[in-house]
Amino acid sequence: MTAIVLAATVGALFALGTFLMLRRDLVRVVWGLALVGQAANLYLLTAGEIAPATHDAVPVLAGHGEVPETADPLVQALVLTAIVIGFGMTAFALVLSYRVYEEHGTLDLAEIGGREVSEGRERTRSDGGDRR
Amino acid sequence: MSPEPVVVFAAVSLPFVAALLMPLAFRLLGERTGYLAAGVSFLCFALLATQHGAEGVVSLAWIPSLGISLRFAVDGWAVLFALVASGMGVLVSIYSPAYLHGESGLARYYAALVAFLGSILGVALAADLIALFVFWELTSLCSFVLIGFHTEDDSSRYAARMSMLVTVGGGLFMLAGFLLLAQAAGDPASFDLAAMLAEPGPVRDSLREAGLFVPALALIAVGATTKSAQVPVHFWLPSAMAAPTPVSAFLHSATMVKVGVYLLGRLRPLLESPEWSLLFSALGLATMLVCAMLAVASTDVKELLAYSTASHLGLMVAGFGFASGYGAEAGVFHLLNHALFKAALFLIAGIVAHEAGTRELAELGGLRHELPFTAAITAVVALSMAGIPPFSGFYSKELLFNATVEAAGQIPGAIGWLYPAVAVLASVFTVLYSVRFLALFFGSRPDGLGHVTRPAPILLVSPAILGALTAVISVSPGIAIETVVRPAVDATVTEPREMPHVIPTSYSTAVGMSALAIGLGLAAYPFYGRFHRGIGGLSAAIPPVAATWWYDAAIDGLERAGRGLAARVQNGLLRTYATWTLGATCAIALAGFAAAGALSGTMVELEASIPIALVAAVAVVAAIAVVRSPSHVVGVLTLSIVGFMLAIVYILASAPDLALTQLVVETLVLLVFLLVIEEIPESAELPVPKFSEMALGRVGRDAVLSLAVGATAFVTVLVTTDARPEGASEIARYYAEQAVPEGGGTNIVNVVLVDFRAFDTMGELVVVAVAAISVLTLLVMRGRGEDA
Repeated sequence: MTAIVLAATVGALFALGTFLMLRRDLVRVVWGLALVGQAANLYLLTAGEIAPATHDAVPVLAGHGEVPETADPLVQALVLTAIVIGFGMTAFALVLSYRVYEEHGTLDLAEIGGREVSEGRERTRSDGGDRR
Repeated sequence: MSPEPVVVFAAVSLPFVAALLMPLAFRLLGERTGYLAAGVSFLCFALLATQHGAEGVVSLAWIPSLGISLRFAVDGWAVLFALVASGMGVLVSIYSPAYLHGESGLARYYAALVAFLGSILGVALAADLIALFVFWELTSLCSFVLIGFHTEDDSSRYAARMSMLVTVGGGLFMLAGFLLLAQAAGDPASFDLAAMLAEPGPVRDSLREAGLFVPALALIAVGATTKSAQVPVHFWLPSAMAAPTPVSAFLHSATMVKVGVYLLGRLRPLLESPEWSLLFSALGLATMLVCAMLAVASTDVKELLAYSTASHLGLMVAGFGFASGYGAEAGVFHLLNHALFKAALFLIAGIVAHEAGTRELAELGGLRHELPFTAAITAVVALSMAGIPPFSGFYSKELLFNATVEAAGQIPGAIGWLYPAVAVLASVFTVLYSVRFLALFFGSRPDGLGHVTRPAPILLVSPAILGALTAVISVSPGIAIETVVRPAVDATVTEPREMPHVIPTSYSTAVGMSALAIGLGLAAYPFYGRFHRGIGGLSAAIPPVAATWWYDAAIDGLERAGRGLAARVQNGLLRTYATWTLGATCAIALAGFAAAGALSGTMVELEASIPIALVAAVAVVAAIAVVRSPSHVVGVLTLSIVGFMLAIVYILASAPDLALTQLVVETLVLLVFLLVIEEIPESAELPVPKFSEMALGRVGRDAVLSLAVGATAFVTVLVTTDARPEGASEIARYYAEQAVPEGGGTNIVNVVLVDFRAFDTMGELVVVAVAAISVLTLLVMRGRGEDA
């Protein structure tokens, strides 16, 4: 059985997230990361069967006694962990971008990347010179 | 007599244990650690000597599910090789402390030396193809460490890398060959070499049936010839002479380079065939000739010995190549003789370099006055190398000559006589360079040679023992043949036969060949300089003649290609990295699905209620709005919409805990985003270009990649959910049923998190804590001068 609706949602979120990750604006890249993370969580959830929201399907038991068919508790536990880790990652990425802005005075990745590369080249060249 | 398992396992594992303890021992003993290494080697030697005459297999389960075990077989051939290795280990360890006096890195040196001994004993005894491969590659690794002993020296590092690439690379070919053998040996694959050797027929037949006999033979041949420095990969051996001389004596003349030859002897009963004979006899004789000529062209003492080693290895390979009993006898007997005389010659070369301060052949000569004792040893071992009767090398070379004559007789026409002709020609050069080596001691003394000091007596012990053993075999070859050579030959031939008397009593073709080779060699010696310059000039005039030229060209090409690729894939722009990574991931994932046939015939089902579909649609629309948002603030707010919609999806999917967490996290993320964005002035925002102003090429490329990633994700979800088993999984049921009795909680997800998978949760907390610390560091440390 496949879950075509959720598959389409996951696919769309992945596509949009990827598009954002390819932008020059660093903040937009972080958004892309966050979107892809959300989509991945949704994908994990679909790995267990999506149960319709009924009283029994919620993985909280009434107490001792008969255990009903519930939604898959394992994938829920995994997704819960993933959500929290995703939060940590987004917060870190965001603050890192802020730091990048402080250091370089810009959020333009094309500018920063180009600068790094030319600096790096010069460094290797001078290293090589020293060795010789 | 069957082998004693405890003794065999102890002999192989002892050196490895000792290797681990070497750094500690070095702190206590200092440079005397060498004598400890000698003690360890001697213990191995003694343990293995008790197994002399034993025959059988001992094994220890290793990976039973794959049929792999640590299996050791003891027979005459294994014992001979193991005794040569451990005995050489003793002598080299005695020699090392005086030779390497005052060098740094000795703890590493001795650790690698004994670890190498353990690996080589493993190769000698292994009767499981995987175990054999592991020990085989371990010898290459130890050799790498030992060749690169002078870590600060460029040429030493170059040589270490070269030998590593060649021998380890060859080993990988051999592994592929082993896998073919294992496939042929049974279903499921069997790696039991002892069983294959006991019943070679079925393995050979099933290889032939599958048409894999020649590929398997070729792959194994690549492994053996790279290790044993056969043409055209002989070039790593002279470079390996960057290693300290004791290492050259031990690894690169007596043991490691012989494991290729050893393997041929081991597999000979299994793979013996016309193809085998043609391949190895031709390869061996070619190496014998080419390397003997290169030895004549050498200018350095160790280089001469290195080429000569490769040439003698060619003799052994050719020996094992010939189908006749003579061939196996030549291979086995020469392995022993060569180990004795060549290791002695290396140790002598070490003494000469140590005392005279140079290894240049042109600068050395007439050392018999200063080094009389060394000169006496040299006379015995160098004449043995030359194959002059009655020295030991003569006997084993006679056996090879006999084998070539026999092979020539079986091939119709004159072409078969190439075998003996090449063997004789190679022997002429062997005589030439042997006499040249002798001239170091007995020739005239060059004017430039300075004062030569007397060697420390301890340096002479090991060469003297080797010289004495060579002398014993020379005087009475029968002793060695009866005790070690014949049992070894029996293990390498399919039909054991009586070993012939090696001391010739009457004229035969082989005797004539020896006489011819020696006569021509001695007659040509006065023109040594001409040969020397001629062969040397050839490779200088046409660089592609030299094998190192090919190696250097290949390595340079690889390095250039690597640098070019890095500049292209990792050019400092995030989008380039992302493009390559995402594109490659998608390609690999889709190719994997296609290869597994997962893409066909999936049942498409909605599996989502209309509310879920609606909420998901809102999330997607919000995500589109994020992409099209004109400013940071708008984007952050719309991003939150996506998060909150997903929280609703979680509610609808019976996951209240997820919804709660998602709501909390989403709120926090929104706050953090707003706080950060507030700090960044609007002027730093990059304006989102109007659609009409966009660089269409770039946006188009990004869109294509994004669609590809989205499509891959879509397909992945479809394929995986299609493969999902019906109903609740076993583990999910387990958690649900055990939540109350085992975890004491009714919320199953919570119980899973804090009880069943509590370690995962702890890891998650660590991640969050690390993220928090990093955030603090990034924000706070800037003002405090991080650079200082």
